[in-house]
Amino acid sequence: MEDTLKALVSEAEEGIPSVHTRPEFEAFKARFVGPNGSLKDAMRGMAQVPKEDKPRIGQLLNKTKQELEAIFQAALDKIETTELAAKLGDPIDPSLPSPDPVPGNLHPLTQVRNEIVRVLKSVGFIVAEGPEVETEHFCFDALNTPKDHPARDLQDTFYLPTDATVGNVSKHADERYLLRTHTSTVQIRTMLEQEPPVRIISPGRCFRRDTTDATHSASFTQVEGLYVDKGVTVRDLKAILDFLLKSLLGSDAKTRFRPHFFPYTEPSFEMDAQSSHLAKVGKDWVELGGCGMVDPNVFTAVGYDPDVYSGYAFGFGIERIAMILYGIDDIRYFYQNDFRFLKQFS
Amino acid sequence: MLISLSWLSDYVDLSDKTTEEIEYAMTMIGFEVEGIKNTGLPDLPNVVVGEVLAREQHPDADRLGVCEVNVGEAETLQIVCGASNYKVGDRVPVAKVGARLPGNFKIKASKLRGVESFGMMCSPRELGLGADHEGLMILENHPEIGTPINDVFPDSDIVLDIEVTPNRPDCLSHVGIAREMAAYYGKALTYPILETDFDGVRKTGEHGLITGVDVQSPEDCPNYYAHSIKGVKMGSSPDWLKRYLEAVDQRPINNVVDITNFVLHEFGQPLHAFDASKIKGNKIVVRKASEGEKIVTLDDKERTLKSNMLVIADAEKPLVIAGVMGSVDAGVDDNTVDIVLESAYFDPSGIRKTSRTLGLSSDSSYRFERGVDPKGANFAALRAIDLILEIAGGELVGPYIQAGSEPSTEQEINLNPQFIRDVAGFDIPDQKIREIFEALECRVTGNENEWVVHVPSWRGDLYRPADLAEEAIRMFGTDQIPDAPVTVAGLIQDDANTATLNERFSTYLAGQHFQECVHYSLRSGEEAKQWFSRFSMDALKLANPFTSDQTHLRVSLIPGLLDTLKLNFARKTGMERVFEVGKVFHEHNGQIFEMVSVAFAIFQPDKSSSWKSREPADFYTSKNILNALGQLANLKLDEVGYKNLAWGTTIWQEGHSAHVGSFADNGFEAILGMLNVNLVKDWDLDGTVLAGSIEILPEKVTLGHDIVKFKPFSQFPPAEKDLALVVDEFLHAETVRRELAKITKRAVNNRYELESVTVFDVYSGGGLPAGKKSLAFNMKFRSNDRTLTDKEVGEVFSAVQKEIESSTPYLVRS
Repeated sequence: MEDTLKALVSEAEEGIPSVHTRPEFEAFKARFVGPNGSLKDAMRGMAQVPKEDKPRIGQLLNKTKQELEAIFQAALDKIETTELAAKLGDPIDPSLPSPDPVPGNLHPLTQVRNEIVRVLKSVGFIVAEGPEVETEHFCFDALNTPKDHPARDLQDTFYLPTDATVGNVSKHADERYLLRTHTSTVQIRTMLEQEPPVRIISPGRCFRRDTTDATHSASFTQVEGLYVDKGVTVRDLKAILDFLLKSLLGSDAKTRFRPHFFPYTEPSFEMDAQSSHLAKVGKDWVELGGCGMVDPNVFTAVGYDPDVYSGYAFGFGIERIAMILYGIDDIRYFYQNDFRFLKQFS
Repeated sequence: MLISLSWLSDYVDLSDKTTEEIEYAMTMIGFEVEGIKNTGLPDLPNVVVGEVLAREQHPDADRLGVCEVNVGEAETLQIVCGASNYKVGDRVPVAKVGARLPGNFKIKASKLRGVESFGMMCSPRELGLGADHEGLMILENHPEIGTPINDVFPDSDIVLDIEVTPNRPDCLSHVGIAREMAAYYGKALTYPILETDFDGVRKTGEHGLITGVDVQSPEDCPNYYAHSIKGVKMGSSPDWLKRYLEAVDQRPINNVVDITNFVLHEFGQPLHAFDASKIKGNKIVVRKASEGEKIVTLDDKERTLKSNMLVIADAEKPLVIAGVMGSVDAGVDDNTVDIVLESAYFDPSGIRKTSRTLGLSSDSSYRFERGVDPKGANFAALRAIDLILEIAGGELVGPYIQAGSEPSTEQEINLNPQFIRDVAGFDIPDQKIREIFEALECRVTGNENEWVVHVPSWRGDLYRPADLAEEAIRMFGTDQIPDAPVTVAGLIQDDANTATLNERFSTYLAGQHFQECVHYSLRSGEEAKQWFSRFSMDALKLANPFTSDQTHLRVSLIPGLLDTLKLNFARKTGMERVFEVGKVFHEHNGQIFEMVSVAFAIFQPDKSSSWKSREPADFYTSKNILNALGQLANLKLDEVGYKNLAWGTTIWQEGHSAHVGSFADNGFEAILGMLNVNLVKDWDLDGTVLAGSIEILPEKVTLGHDIVKFKPFSQFPPAEKDLALVVDEFLHAETVRRELAKITKRAVNNRYELESVTVFDVYSGGGLPAGKKSLAFNMKFRSNDRTLTDKEVGEVFSAVQKEIESSTPYLVRS
């Protein structure tokens, strides 16, 4: 009996180094202390032990049991340590880059648009939107553009075929659908929907049938503003644009209005800006966009009384603003989406 | 348009203004100066006429000569020169030591390859006289040696290239711009004085060169004058006239043509001079061209006319495309003796159409299509006759012929001057407003607050008080607009849903490590057909595309994203996750629908460039992103139900892609998964692309603005049960899950709550019957008022299993 017990301990001691995993361990342990294990066999052997030997053998049995448990515990600790190490993996090198994707980023045109929207929302404008496929009425007629105005030519504006129908934009029978050439269409739609006061900005994509080169793009983005109320003046127009351009270009930015002509405003101006930032990118006075007081004919077209209400409107090309702001020399970069371009604006 | 300042000074004295001041003034009253050109010489002291006395070869340089030059001083100068176009005896401009040439080029005594040189002989470009740098400027007319070069070329001029907006055709002339400058500076405007006493001859003569003018299309030609001048002497124009024309880039041709061009640039009224001998039948006919009629215009091109084009014809053929360009057969030439001079008013839109249709624009059509002064034809004709008689001689014979009459232009605007201040928002005194109007030749009558403003015939753009407000503000000076604070009253309104949604999409995707991209809205027809065979692509085609690769409205944002992935892969920039938000267009029952859209794409290159590999993205990656996007758009995509793609497998990888929603039922469509591997290969991308897109009708966009109502939740632990079911392998897990949830809910029977039923394992293979798979579900139960006992949950669980076995085709896997 004594020998058997000793042999058990040595067997466990000898066998344990080849036990590496938890299943191996459980199987190995069961060989000794399981219900059919050898220790259990030995314990069943106690019955045949003479009475006088029982206390000693009993002690020995306990000791053996303890020894085995110690062996198993040590082995289990080792396995757990190994398992933990496997779970944790190699120690890190804090200088290695993360293999996960780089941060996402908004396109520079979206960033500039958002910035303009942010500034104007701070003085109470809201964003309005409208369809890109428009009708001649909203793009030209309602904006006081004469029937034979060159902008309406097939050479300058994209049209859909005369028999095309757009399910979610209705039109009169005798007009054509076109790709809007400006977002002023949204001003008309908004004024038709609500009574003054109206204070909206309408950013969006526009189209002109134009050769694409460094400074022209057949597809471009505009943001336009409109404010209609009682007693809106040229001075208010200058004030809002001063506010906007100082926000965009720095507090030293100056604006100037050059009289100009647009069918939908009277008086009309082009606005130029000057700032130390622009001077850094080599610009003196830079033309940024057009503006003016809403033409009385436009009010009449949307059912506002031009003797009661007045309003101003202004518009910028977002590509142009971005090009000026960042010193970008080719408009095509915006639509090419080379990561080396895009990530500069993160 | 080009404006010569010396020419301008014939009508308004600007001698006290610098060019910069004039440029600023023009810009600030609405005529943007796009360029300034100096013609003639700048002031060049120490540059004089010299004569080459001798030329010897430079000892050390083949291409240099060493010259002895007489500049009218006691000693001749030795000058080394690299030009070769001169010979001994030629007179040339010599910049002496101390001279400063344009570009701040200072002339110093120097050595060129060891030979001393005391000055420089100059090319035209070196003097600032144009671009010619072929060689020295040889002074052919042999001016006196030593004469300052500024005395040889006394006429310098400054020419401004200005932008004239389409509403101001009256300013397409020197007199027009002079009027603006006079008004701005408060100076007098001097009109040319007509010399000849016309009335007697013109009205009563009996020797007119033609018998009549037959205007057959009076609506296109309301007024037409024909004057007859006999016995002119053709020749070249005097220097002053040539110089004026050259300043505005007009090539001098002969005296009569030059005079008509001069008057065009002086008053903006185009004129046409006919050689009377070339008018067959002695009669001018103003008529519509017959369809297909041909004419060879002065630029030597044969033009085929259409029946809506107006021509000036004789008895046989068209001589001029009215208001646009004359023919080679009818113009005056060196042999012309008798002239018929046309001065007319043509309908602007007719001229514009003709010019556009023919692709032929001229100084004449440019002015007619914008609208010349309806009452200007007479004065311009008389001015030209004055100059012809003076320069080319001849005799005015009568009677002149007028067909039609001057269009009526009387325009009177009632104005309260307070209106101007109301528009401006700042003070402009009545007196100042009145001065501005009168300087613009808008006469003001009426009393203190009830003005009547009489608009001159050339200002067709002024017909309302708002138009006058612009004039007042423009001339008062936009630099006088005072600074002001932005004052606004708050409006309770929200941004457009579509704008908010796009912003949500972009913010989310950028946060998920996607880079936003922007692509053109127009794509090629070929691509459209390949990608979207289920749409009728003809409906999305433009009537007038500009380039063959941009003919159709885009149906999806994904092709653009693939273009970008392709470009960036080829350029090895490392960009792999991209998205776009924008409009796309679908065809449905023959109609186009504009849709709000968002799309993303993840490129997984075969060869990873990372030091540590990650689990690759798969369909379920796309689904997770798409569900989040759907949530932002208030769409519950899982509830609507994902379906396997039944179409589009050339675009999407079969077995790895799905769609959800339908245009007709839900107002949106979404598609997602892995793009077809062959397609991706065709796009030159070595790897796989996971993508997804949602397209929503803008009018169906909702944002879920409702205010949240709080629901209390249980403080007790849940009880859980797991159940595996053996089902047909093609059955969607969601179908089984819903069935199981329904049965379980019924079994619970509101005694407590079935909180969730979720799939936690999908298994197919060994141990299962063929064509079957096993789905394992976890069911979570909870009560609001107690901890659930094993017994009560166990009862439900048994009931559920029984129900599954008896009423569904599913088997409970033991």
